[in-house]
Amino acid sequence: MVELKVDQDKCLGCGNCVVSCPVNGAISPESAGGHGPKTEEVIMMVENGLVKLFNVDKCTQCGTCPLFCPTDAIYLE
Amino acid sequence: MVANVKEVKAKEVTVKRASPEEKRELSFKDEICVGCGICEKICPVQAIELGPINAIERTGVEESKISIDETKCVLCGMCSSVCPVDALEFDIDEKSIKEIEGYPKLIKSAEISDEDCIYCKACETACPRDAITIARVLPDRSKLVTGEIEIDKETCVSCGICEEMCPADAITMEHHEPTSAEPTVSTDINVDKEKCVYCLICKKSCPVDAIKAVCRSCSYGEYDLNPEDTEIKGSSFIDEEACVDCGWCQEICPVDAAHVEKAFEGELLIDQEKCEACGACLEICPCNVLSFPKEEFGKQGAENVRAEEKYCIYCGACEKACPVEAIEVKRTAVKHTPTKSKSWEKKMESLKT
Repeated sequence: MVELKVDQDKCLGCGNCVVSCPVNGAISPESAGGHGPKTEEVIMMVENGLVKLFNVDKCTQCGTCPLFCPTDAIYLE
Repeated sequence: MVANVKEVKAKEVTVKRASPEEKRELSFKDEICVGCGICEKICPVQAIELGPINAIERTGVEESKISIDETKCVLCGMCSSVCPVDALEFDIDEKSIKEIEGYPKLIKSAEISDEDCIYCKACETACPRDAITIARVLPDRSKLVTGEIEIDKETCVSCGICEEMCPADAITMEHHEPTSAEPTVSTDINVDKEKCVYCLICKKSCPVDAIKAVCRSCSYGEYDLNPEDTEIKGSSFIDEEACVDCGWCQEICPVDAAHVEKAFEGELLIDQEKCEACGACLEICPCNVLSFPKEEFGKQGAENVRAEEKYCIYCGACEKACPVEAIEVKRTAVKHTPTKSKSWEKKMESLKT
């Protein structure tokens, strides 16, 4: 079973994944605009400079966030 | 009871059952599969499961696009009958059910008529599956023009300008180092009339007007050309395994030489409000139906993703790939050869949405 995973050691905290995630955008439209999501209902957010998965069950494994992550810190496996 | 045997070679899966009376075999080709999930939908015993298609296509996850549970599979062949791209093949006693009368198969085809084709290669370039090869044989350039050319070797100073300028490489000089016995830079100059296209570049560039040349085609037209020699010959080839009958070739062909028949009719609906422009559908679509519209500076576009429905085969892969349910693929007609089996007929009909 493929799942969304995060390697915090690689994460730069840039937030590309948060902004690019289409599910995040649907839940919290301001995140697609580049601002931080206003709710913890989203799949992932940057917290204290590192990405953290909040609701991995909402991920449809569309593969968008790994495309935008500069360090392969977020991936499907 | 004879049990099913599953063989997995790389990502290609085969499920077999050989009883004394009959041998049945279902084989799946992963590289042909487009991940539409129609097989999963039609399987009467839920033996097929669609894999993580987005993860496979976009992030290189090494998994098979579908999985077949051989303990559930009854080897009925329905999945093979409805696969829009023929990624699933089903044989009974080594004969494909697509050749067995009574088993329904989708009516779909793509053809290029060699009679009408002008070998422009537009279809070859446009085909999203690289399924088309156009081989063409062009006539010799010199066969498309006639004329006369003569070099006055007495006047010629062997400067080599015409040889350098000739676009058809038709002029050659016999260069050599001058000696006291033969104090010239070239012993001879020749024009290969098989190569000469009578463009008159040599005549115009000769510094001493040593070349007399005339293009007869420019002066008198094409009357003395042999039409057979000027013909562009060729042939077209469609790789049926790769072809998904999307219709790009038919749409782009300037002379209506390509004809495509599609198995499904339907409607492709995109909810632009819901779309987050993640691009998953663009990458999954086997037919290049979808694209991002060109950005216009300072203008907020009404569309996040653009669909050109004439290329759509209504396989539904994009709908399944969309993470925010912004795409709906409706199938309103399923064209297939007739079957007497009511249950098969009902199953074929169930593909309509």
